[in-house]
Amino acid sequence: MSVPPHDRPVAGAPAVELAGITKRFGDVLANDGIDLAVARGEVHAVVGENGAGKSTLMSVLYGLHRPDAGQVLRAGVPVRLRSPADAIAHGLGMVHQRLRLFPGLSVAENVVIGAEPVRRGMLDRAAADRAVAGLSERYGLDVDPSARVGELPVGVRQRVEILKALYRRAEVLILDEPTAVLTPGETEGLLRMVREFAAEGVSVLLVTHKLEEVLAASDRVTVLRGGRVTGRFDTAATSADELVQAMIGRSLGAPPHGPRPTGTPSGPAEAMAYVLEVRDLHLRDQDGVAAVAEVSFGVRAGEIVGLAGVAGSGQRELVEAVTGLRRAGSGEVLLEGRPVEGGRERRVAYVPADRAGRATAPIMSLADNLLMGEQRGIRLRPDRMRQRAAALVERFSIRASSVRAPIAQLSGGNAQKAVLARELSRDTPVLVVEEPTQGVDVGAQERIHALLAEARDAGRAVLLQSSELSELRALADRVLVMFEGRVVADLPVAEATDERLGAAMTGAARPEQGDAEATG
Amino acid sequence: MTGVENPVGTPPTTSAPARGDGARRVGVVVRRLVLSPAVLSVAGALALTTIVMIAVGVDPSLAYPALVRGALMDGNLEYTLAAYVPTLGMAVAFAIPLRAGEFNLGGDGQLSLGGIVAAALALHAGGSYVVPLVGAALAGALVAGLSAPLRTRLGIPAIVSTLLLSAPAVSLASYLARFPLAEPGTGLAQTPLLPESARLPAFGSSSYVTIALPLVAALTALWLYADARTVPGYEIRALGANREFARYGGVRVDRMAAVTLAAGGAFAGLVGGLIVLGPPYRFVDGALTAPGYTFTAIAAVLLAAGRPPAIPAAVALLTILQAGGQGMEREAGVPSQLTQIVQGLIIVIVSVAAVVRSRWTGRQA
Ligand SMILES: Nc1ncnc2c1ncn2[C@@H]1O[C@H](COP(=O)(O)OP(=O)(O)OP(=O)(O)O)[C@@H](O)[C@H]1O
Ligand SMILES: [Mg+2]
Repeated sequence: MSVPPHDRPVAGAPAVELAGITKRFGDVLANDGIDLAVARGEVHAVVGENGAGKSTLMSVLYGLHRPDAGQVLRAGVPVRLRSPADAIAHGLGMVHQRLRLFPGLSVAENVVIGAEPVRRGMLDRAAADRAVAGLSERYGLDVDPSARVGELPVGVRQRVEILKALYRRAEVLILDEPTAVLTPGETEGLLRMVREFAAEGVSVLLVTHKLEEVLAASDRVTVLRGGRVTGRFDTAATSADELVQAMIGRSLGAPPHGPRPTGTPSGPAEAMAYVLEVRDLHLRDQDGVAAVAEVSFGVRAGEIVGLAGVAGSGQRELVEAVTGLRRAGSGEVLLEGRPVEGGRERRVAYVPADRAGRATAPIMSLADNLLMGEQRGIRLRPDRMRQRAAALVERFSIRASSVRAPIAQLSGGNAQKAVLARELSRDTPVLVVEEPTQGVDVGAQERIHALLAEARDAGRAVLLQSSELSELRALADRVLVMFEGRVVADLPVAEATDERLGAAMTGAARPEQGDAEATG
Repeated sequence: MTGVENPVGTPPTTSAPARGDGARRVGVVVRRLVLSPAVLSVAGALALTTIVMIAVGVDPSLAYPALVRGALMDGNLEYTLAAYVPTLGMAVAFAIPLRAGEFNLGGDGQLSLGGIVAAALALHAGGSYVVPLVGAALAGALVAGLSAPLRTRLGIPAIVSTLLLSAPAVSLASYLARFPLAEPGTGLAQTPLLPESARLPAFGSSSYVTIALPLVAALTALWLYADARTVPGYEIRALGANREFARYGGVRVDRMAAVTLAAGGAFAGLVGGLIVLGPPYRFVDGALTAPGYTFTAIAAVLLAAGRPPAIPAAVALLTILQAGGQGMEREAGVPSQLTQIVQGLIIVIVSVAAVVRSRWTGRQA
């Protein structure tokens, strides 16, 4: 086998090697002769714009797609991967960008599925629970093995996926944007775990859009662009700038919006009434457990209020109450002074974090997906729909072969852009956004931030939930921190330092944040 | 909304250079067509049938022409059409809720109740066929609609409740035909002949095909239009594609699911009425369920594989196979059960093809 020139001189063959991989979908050349080798114990980052072909390449490696040309070598030996089962048999494990769990099963059941501990021909539930609890403890993942996956927030579900690969003792671990929806603390934990893995001899392929993660956790980097390799770097000898240059062919400009001058909302916002107001809200989840308690706050026109907190602190339930998808237990949600109605509230545009589960119908066309929420009257006008879709595709640079193709065929970041395009173009006084930049590349992140700032300047009231503290700091006027269903801190952006936010998110700041809750 | 030209992301970079454009695209279309589950399964089933024929010593070159003659020629077309109409109706009855992700397996019950209600109204209300048909549709809608609260209140999936409600509905219709509505003095399980005024006019000069044909065709066309070109049709498709997405988009999901179940039931009930008001102009116990319209209809819808416009053709194919089976038996000595086996094979192959295809095109992100 020819050894690609970029391979470092390691003893023996690379743990895994992709040689000349080409993969075409109809007219789209997703991978174009890609070579990539990962040594044993190496963390190899794969970066590139949305639609560059990263997920496709990882899917080829995991036996989900058969390449049109090229081959996969494992420890120097060509292997035929016709299915994920083949890949697992060859010691490969993958955490997908779009989570693939069974919502009806418990965490432990999801983790062991396909490799269940068996006792007398039956699933040994206790052993499964024990194994999962052990793993989750060892890597500090904090997951309850008996919880039902469908009821967990996306962030926790992601950890279940990671546990699944850990459980199978993968020697090559493929992580496709594992940190897209994790909080900084969780991300840090994950990256530490990744390094630990590498130290134990596991090879890790890490796809991410966050360059600080690349710089912090990887040994080498491969940059893809338009399906081709446009750069290979040793992490130690490169910089974020150099990577961006290889990714998008230019450097990032200064953020067009710039950091908000602190404490001065544009215009006389202070004087204005709340557009969105939540008063002493209490919510219970399905099991009657309090999910949100005593929450009160308001968002004015022309203001962005950030919402922070570790996954499962009640943010999801709160957002559902604001968007009308969940009935208030007690208390009120007021929009321009009038309470939200039951069912989806039309006065709120909403970008959900759960892209495949709520924000899109993956099997429907891009045009159909872009219509949802705006359908009115009786007649559908396909030509007008397609026109509008085409306009959004153009304006938001969504890379799609056709608006008639299922949205599932879009790359993750492009699907995210489609959701944003749909919701940002709606004409509503309130905009609720969860994880707006999950899975989008650095260039698009910049522009999405500009768009949110623009929505604010246009006088909309924006509630922004993000696990990215830097995102909250860049955009929000105030940051609310939730912990165990309560708002435990309400900080002006100038005071929202990593330390203070971090402390509030873990509940440590509770006693001293007396000013937190507007009402008792 | 904004003045930014190109707000998100850099312009699409070098998308793949499309090589040999025209020819390639034709190739792709042809490949997609040939690999479609419908084509695959029909071809596969025909291949298997041919093998079976050869195995049992029947000459396919005799059997297939006999099949076509048995279905379409020598005056057989009329029978085939008479079977086509209820099968198409039942296919739509199954397909409407299926678009919303609900399985209506209670077609037989809805069909029977529709039939007996139509007979009762024709016998006792007098007047034209309009009232009996409306009553039949309402009866079907009611039985099927019952499944909606069972799901939202008790969490019983429609696929279970429709099936469970079917048998009692069939029995109820049968009881009514045997006792309260039975033809006096004959001891037969059938109602008396319906009055002339309530009978459906013949379609053209046919003695078997009634105006049920244009009626069902028109309603099917109406549904196809609604599905593809109306907002409720869109909402129903969204509901079937991803329930949570539909809820998120403001669709009243429970109500919409109930509406589709009731609409499917109404269609089935109407078909029952149309059969009873046509020749032999009475409700004969078992005559509605014995031909297996419901099952053939489900097979046809599955064969159409999520493409409603393909349903009329799929129904035609299966009806021709069935009607032609008898001709084949007469002329080529092939047991007509063979065509039932073929039908079963088509369904199996359809399912397998669909699964395999979804594996191939499965996408993660
Ligand atoms: N199953 C498919 N059918 C059609 N096109 C596809 C399919 N899978 C991927 N593509 C196309 O291939 C290209 C590469 O997609 P891929 O998902 O690999 O991108 P990516 O680098 O992972 O992007 P992102 O960062 O947005 O996740 C995109 O243009 C995408 O639309
Ligand atoms: Mg991807």
